Amino acid sequence: MFIFLSCWLCLRIECWRALNCRVNVTCIIRSYKSRGWCVCVLFGQQREEKQLEASLESLHARVAHLKGSLQSFIVKLETEHDRLTWPSVLDNFALLSGQLNTINKVLKNEKTPSYRSQVIIPLLLSPDRDEELLKLTEQRVPVFSHEIVPDHLRTKPDPEVEEQEKHLSAEAARIGPEVAQKQIQTLNKLCSSLLEKLNNPRDDRDSETSALRQNKPSFNPADTNALVAAVGFGKGLSKCRPPGSVPSGHPGQPMMSTGPTLQQVTIAGTTGHQAGMGGQGTQQQPGQPGTTFNDVHQHFYTQNHHVSCSCNDLILHVLFEQVKCPATSRLTSSLHPCILTTDELPAEMLHFVIQRLVYEAKMLICFVHFQ
Amino acid sequence: MEAPPVTVMPVTGGTINMMEYLLQGSVLDQSMESLLHRLRGLCDNMEPESFADHELVYLLKGQQGNPFMLRARRSLLHPTAPWHLRYLGQPEVGDKSRHALVRNCVDVAASHSLPEFLNEMGFRMDHEFVAKGQVFRKGAMKVVVSKLLRVLATGNTENTEPLSLSYLVELSVLAPAGQDNVSEDMRSFAEQLKPLVHLEKIDPKRLM
Repeated sequence: MFIFLSCWLCLRIECWRALNCRVNVTCIIRSYKSRGWCVCVLFGQQREEKQLEASLESLHARVAHLKGSLQSFIVKLETEHDRLTWPSVLDNFALLSGQLNTINKVLKNEKTPSYRSQVIIPLLLSPDRDEELLKLTEQRVPVFSHEIVPDHLRTKPDPEVEEQEKHLSAEAARIGPEVAQKQIQTLNKLCSSLLEKLNNPRDDRDSETSALRQNKPSFNPADTNALVAAVGFGKGLSKCRPPGSVPSGHPGQPMMSTGPTLQQVTIAGTTGHQAGMGGQGTQQQPGQPGTTFNDVHQHFYTQNHHVSCSCNDLILHVLFEQVKCPATSRLTSSLHPCILTTDELPAEMLHFVIQRLVYEAKMLICFVHFQ
Repeated sequence: MEAPPVTVMPVTGGTINMMEYLLQGSVLDQSMESLLHRLRGLCDNMEPESFADHELVYLLKGQQGNPFMLRARRSLLHPTAPWHLRYLGQPEVGDKSRHALVRNCVDVAASHSLPEFLNEMGFRMDHEFVAKGQVFRKGAMKVVVSKLLRVLATGNTENTEPLSLSYLVELSVLAPAGQDNVSEDMRSFAEQLKPLVHLEKIDPKRLM
């Protein structure tokens, strides 16, 4: 800035221009006014004002960008947090740090006037709502009152933060410059060695990690073999005796079935003899009626029992009933014929059919042979 | 009620021959958590399904040849669900380059009187075990991680002890015969689980 003086002070003009100092205009004017000279200030103050305005505008724009990216990041975190991947989160952080960097550059620019010399003084505080203020601040600040002034017009950090800063600077001053320098050097050395390690992958580093991993294997091949053998053919599992305690079933639904052929093979008497179930099922079991029947009798004690099995398009029902022979009070088993129908029979009708068959042929034994 | 017609000829055919492609491996108990996390990330996004099943293996010993094996499985968590009867054939001895074990597979559902029925048919229970674990799916592939438990008293599923300190990991696909790209997909999926668990084709005959 320069001050344009009248007449005999023209020489001084050059001086002031050369200095180009940012001395406070008001005190110069005061000093010259005391000498009775009228001073007019041209251009200079306007230029500083213009600079201030321009820098404030660019700062405002940068901060608006930062605010926008912060907002979009927060929205992303809140709505898509289960789909978010770490690289995209890193991208967001990189964007934010880039924007903070540009703000720093704007602040450090030599064209930017020092904001510390500017002071904002609230001239009027009122508890009334201010629509203009609402519009300016995007509905965030409705009232320019005593409560918001300490937060919004703050220029110094919190008292606690100030205390901590004072402690830290006292600490720093205490240790002395040589010690500080040595600490700085060690930190630099550590950082550079770490960077080097990260940037240059070395083969011996890989072999180190693979050796480490081998010390903690996550699977045991012997176990694999044991488990596969157990699942495959029961190695290691105790072999069972013929039919153990199996859970008793309950009646299924009679449904259609086709295919099996009925062959009536033998009819046996029941004079106190545990027979009857002989060979039901397959013909591959001719010689073991004894053990089967004992166990069967234990399980199906005077119960109507109904076994059903489905296989693709074949459904088979076998009904058998234990009857207590009155003469010898021994249990016998009788097998009712298989019901093979192509239509669905309701349960009651089936029951009726069974009863009928029982009545008409008490000791009927059927072989079921199907392929 | 008139007698409905009963066909005399047996029913044959009508079903697709399904093959099971299988890769097996195991993982130690302490590494199980990391395997579960990895499977959760790799497989379809759904809640992992836990299961506790009691499997009984029945054998039918003929006069000659290998005994015929059937596997009956019931859920201990869902007692009213139907039983599951499965037949697994011998592994196909195809070309050695095929990456997975391929065998014929027939699955049926059965009612709760299946064990008695099998006994009446002449099958004898050979062994039983309890399997507890989790199932994951990825498309057609199914990954089952299960702990095998030995049943100490026959039929008593409360009293069990673990068979080993590892979990069995099985990767399986049910597909019609002749699709070799299935085993390729399985192999690439198995690659993603290394080095936590090595899924490979294990021939059960080799372990007999």
